Amino acid sequence: MSNQDYYVPHGTYWPIIGSIGIATLFVGFANLMHDVSWGGPVMGLGGTIVIFMLFGWFGTVVKESVGGIYNKQVDRSFRWGMSWFIFSEVMFFAAFFGALFYARVISVPWLGGAGNNLFTPELWEGFKAAWPLISTPGAIGQNGTEFSVGFELVDAWGLPALNTALLLTSGVTITYAHHALRNGHRNALIAWMVATIALGVLFLGFQITEYGHAYHEGLKLTSGIYGSTFYLLTGFHGFHVTVGVIMLTVILYRIQKGHFSSENHFAFEGVAWYWHFVDVVWLGLFIFVYWI
Amino acid sequence: MDIIIIAILVVILFSLGSALVGMLRGGGKGSDKMFKSLRTRISLSVFLFILLMFASFMGWIEPNNVLPTQ
Repeated sequence: MSNQDYYVPHGTYWPIIGSIGIATLFVGFANLMHDVSWGGPVMGLGGTIVIFMLFGWFGTVVKESVGGIYNKQVDRSFRWGMSWFIFSEVMFFAAFFGALFYARVISVPWLGGAGNNLFTPELWEGFKAAWPLISTPGAIGQNGTEFSVGFELVDAWGLPALNTALLLTSGVTITYAHHALRNGHRNALIAWMVATIALGVLFLGFQITEYGHAYHEGLKLTSGIYGSTFYLLTGFHGFHVTVGVIMLTVILYRIQKGHFSSENHFAFEGVAWYWHFVDVVWLGLFIFVYWI
Repeated sequence: MDIIIIAILVVILFSLGSALVGMLRGGGKGSDKMFKSLRTRISLSVFLFILLMFASFMGWIEPNNVLPTQ
């Protein structure tokens, strides 16, 4: 397309299908939470509609892109769209890391008597600030819970380190894939992509095993601020790795189809950046949850 | 030691941010900047992981794995 004006897309039914899917999903979920019998099936139906919409909508965009309909203005709008998505992702993880830092550096020491000594011992008798804190102060004396019971987590040099090594290796393989794509080495590109996806899947498998261990040892979502932040951070991270693996698989499929050239491969760039981001989030988690 | 680890993490975040700027810019130059920044970020991350292993082996840092018993 020689015209470099803004591209106005044709009319499409995908947004309304997406809205119906999301509404169905949440009506089902809300009713599931209230133990209504049809809640689960309706939620499943909503999820199916959303997945159908994603395939359909993205498929349309891919077809239009491959069909050469898009101009430079559209390319720029994709780049900006991806950047805003990334901004929301960064803020999302910043909130959870912020909660972890706030609890560790400010609120837990305060409860233990640091600062102006206002909160203790009157508020929570017998509370001693310790990290990791695995019981909420309010739980003392209730259900027989006591503070600071001896508690051993999974060794940081066990699965967490192995998972860090796996994810970092996947960061290396996607960098080689990126290099291969930029230099037009198609077979190398496919091989590095397959390796990246395999490492991501392996990471998820070990993460499930790690959850099994931690849960078995008694670390639950309700295990104080440490348990809550641990599961929310690692859980959402695992969810992001899952999404990343799905996106990488789609990109691999598109590589097979010959959708990308060494100069024009924005979809690959977006997914590669996302994968690097998820990798850095894990590195931050590994350091702040398990080490520092 | 903690400061060194956090400082390297900050440089990694900076490289990731620089790659984002490259991606946003697009074209030949943007694409080059993105690739080089991502390469820096993965190299530093691998280095940091090796440094962590070494520091732990030398006893400079201790993992957070045991809650102090009252």
